[in-house]
Amino acid sequence: MTGIVAAVAALAGLPALAGLPAFAGLDAIVPLANLGQLADLVDPTTLFGIFLNAISKFGVYVTIAAGLSLIFGLMGVLNFAHGSLTMIGAYLGGALMLTFVSEATGDVVAIAFFFLALALVFAIVTAAGAVIEIGLIRPIYDRPPLFQILLTFGLVLVLEEGMRIVLDVYDVQPNVDWTEAAGTRPDVLGFHEILGVTTRGIYQFEAVVGILVVAATWWFLTRTSYGLHIRAGSEDAEMAQALGIDVRRSFTVVFGVGAGLAALAGVMLMWDPRYGASVGLGVETLLIAFVVVIVGGLGSFKGTVVAAAIVAVVDALASWMLVNDVVTFSGLPELVIFLVLVGVLVVRPQGLFGVEEVGGH
Amino acid sequence: MAISPDSSDPADGADGSGADGSPTTGADGPTSAAGGSPSPDGGETGEASRAATAEAEGRTALDTVRSIVSDHAVHIGVIVLFAIYPLAYTQLIALPVIGQELELLFPRTRTMVAVLYVGLFAMSFDFISGYTGYLSFGHSMFYGIGAYLVVLSVNGKVPFLGGIESLLLLALVGGLLAMGAALLVGAVSFRLSGVYFAMVTLGFAEVAHVFIRNWDYVSSNPRDGASLGNNAVSIGLPEWGPLPNWNVTIGQIVGSEFPNVLGTGFDLSKADVSFYAVGIVVLLSYFAMQRIIHSPYGKVMIAIRENEERARAVGYNTFYYKMGAFAMSAFFAAIAGGLLAGYKRSVAPENTFDLFVTADALLAAIIGGFGTLAGALYGVLFQDTLEDFLSTEEGLAPYLRENLSESTMDTVVGDGIDLLLNGRAGLYIGIVFILFVLYVPEGILGTLRSRLGGTVAEKLPERFERYRGGNQ
Repeated sequence: MTGIVAAVAALAGLPALAGLPAFAGLDAIVPLANLGQLADLVDPTTLFGIFLNAISKFGVYVTIAAGLSLIFGLMGVLNFAHGSLTMIGAYLGGALMLTFVSEATGDVVAIAFFFLALALVFAIVTAAGAVIEIGLIRPIYDRPPLFQILLTFGLVLVLEEGMRIVLDVYDVQPNVDWTEAAGTRPDVLGFHEILGVTTRGIYQFEAVVGILVVAATWWFLTRTSYGLHIRAGSEDAEMAQALGIDVRRSFTVVFGVGAGLAALAGVMLMWDPRYGASVGLGVETLLIAFVVVIVGGLGSFKGTVVAAAIVAVVDALASWMLVNDVVTFSGLPELVIFLVLVGVLVVRPQGLFGVEEVGGH
Repeated sequence: MAISPDSSDPADGADGSGADGSPTTGADGPTSAAGGSPSPDGGETGEASRAATAEAEGRTALDTVRSIVSDHAVHIGVIVLFAIYPLAYTQLIALPVIGQELELLFPRTRTMVAVLYVGLFAMSFDFISGYTGYLSFGHSMFYGIGAYLVVLSVNGKVPFLGGIESLLLLALVGGLLAMGAALLVGAVSFRLSGVYFAMVTLGFAEVAHVFIRNWDYVSSNPRDGASLGNNAVSIGLPEWGPLPNWNVTIGQIVGSEFPNVLGTGFDLSKADVSFYAVGIVVLLSYFAMQRIIHSPYGKVMIAIRENEERARAVGYNTFYYKMGAFAMSAFFAAIAGGLLAGYKRSVAPENTFDLFVTADALLAAIIGGFGTLAGALYGVLFQDTLEDFLSTEEGLAPYLRENLSESTMDTVVGDGIDLLLNGRAGLYIGIVFILFVLYVPEGILGTLRSRLGGTVAEKLPERFERYRGGNQ
């Protein structure tokens, strides 16, 4: 732990401070307390609590990152607008749920409607994503990758400000979580107790959704002819084209599906008390999606799934330490996520499951 | 000088030796041949007198000055435009009929101060990203280091640096610290390239961002950053011996002001003083960066961007060149951060370490012209002018509300104005930016350079000269 803390101090550009007598107590920089609490980690209830938290986070992270992984892995486009699409998905999903569901709606019906909203948002944003690909991204495939980053970054500005305008029309506060939409969450997803651990039903629900997303994407990539075309196109676009595959259309489909997945994650997060629908959700999720995809490795969906699991476990452990006062540095969970990114890139530049030569280019 | 590849002036030729005589000839050196004899008559007589000048042992000081002026006509023009801006602005908005409209169109002087230091940051970003091709996505970290170092040390929270009131000295220390950080980050990151380099630098910057946002040593509420409070900080040369005190205080509220300067009748407001003080630092930094870009070191940086493998094959240790360039750009980013802290008198994570601070620099660099250095400043100028134009307090929306009749404002037009114009600069900057990426990928200055066939400072006077010659 001290190692991490010292590294953190060094990274923040304060290498001198850590070694100075005045700052000899590391508490001055990052207050540490109760390292003895770490002994609690062997307690089965504690471990189970961390596990529950980890699978919930896995569900969230893998759903956020799946679409980005598809687009980045198969097309090589780092889509900065991914988070903004998640944010738009959250608002779209919230609006749909508010029209479908009222106070009187039963839990099962509400969850059924949730999946309907999920499907609708996925369809709408997939179509929008396809339009974006054809209109904006396609003209710049032959330019350096920088331009795709730039273009999607421009989209972030337009989408976020556009969303603010729409919210202004409907009198919804853009900077705080949309509580009305979160209110459509059925009671069954609220607090309950499993094996002595108090948790929220929504967390397990997210884990389920995450696993469904992984399964569906996996099926799409390996069991459909479209998936085959996409994999072929990403490996050798020219050869695939020569064999009669319309690679351009495959790219449009991938971008559409990736955008749709981003929005789907947004619908889910709209119910999550840790996130909620707000304009800031875009940046919040984008950075995590980047970390997961890069750690997993370019072009490897398997890598993304594994990386999501690793980041989720690390995050859950850090959160536990924070809640139990092992460390009182409140940014710890966020911090360790980025440390995982830096650490993996230093040790394995191509990511955990990435192809060797990709990192060097 | 003679081997400089910038030399493309056809009239240059053997006269290159003349340029060697002037030690102060700057980056655009080779064109100084044209300025060797600024005699307006030109033609054969000009040719003869030029040869005579070359033969003469050394030049008089006046000639040197003349050649610098004609070499840097465009630079000087731009500097003069910036220099007269605050005074011109005050005069323009005082005009009787169109004053109010001009006030709307032109950015306020206090916006211009921000243009300068954010512009310096954007230029430092362009210095590494535009010239070596390594996208430094964590550049905001260095900006933040400079800004936080100033605030923390003025507040007495940094050992050994307590009690220093000179902003320049603190910015310099911040710059060196940022250089150190850049060397640490670079040692790891330069093993990667392309998107991966961008991501790992972003990762480092986010670690620093999260850390500074939660580090309660900074202030009781680190998420809101820290402020200088009542502590004084001044910019200028340190007091030394018989020299007068050349220090001024910058800032919107506590800054120095000089009513009726030297009896000329002009008032220098706080914003004006800040503008000039910050402007001088930014100008010096720009010249330093430009000098490096045009030196052999800069040529290697460009070679790395164009083809790193070839640069390595030729025998350059590209790793050290990249590290050096990264450290230098971090230094200037931290200087910019120090100016931000000195002017705003407070720092917050979201305007220093945030990813979007880097992104703003990227936008500016692209709009102004990637890999043109000065272009980044114009990009920031464009952004901030647009933001000022659409701002909630004194922008287009309040102007229209004031000047349109109430019956019009009550209709859908009024709602539309509030909805689409009031503080919506982000939307339009985003649209302009996408259009630039799609249709003007070289940016403003880059496109100008392509059109002119060289840097603007070099080619514009030449064109002008040719035009004048044609008229005779």
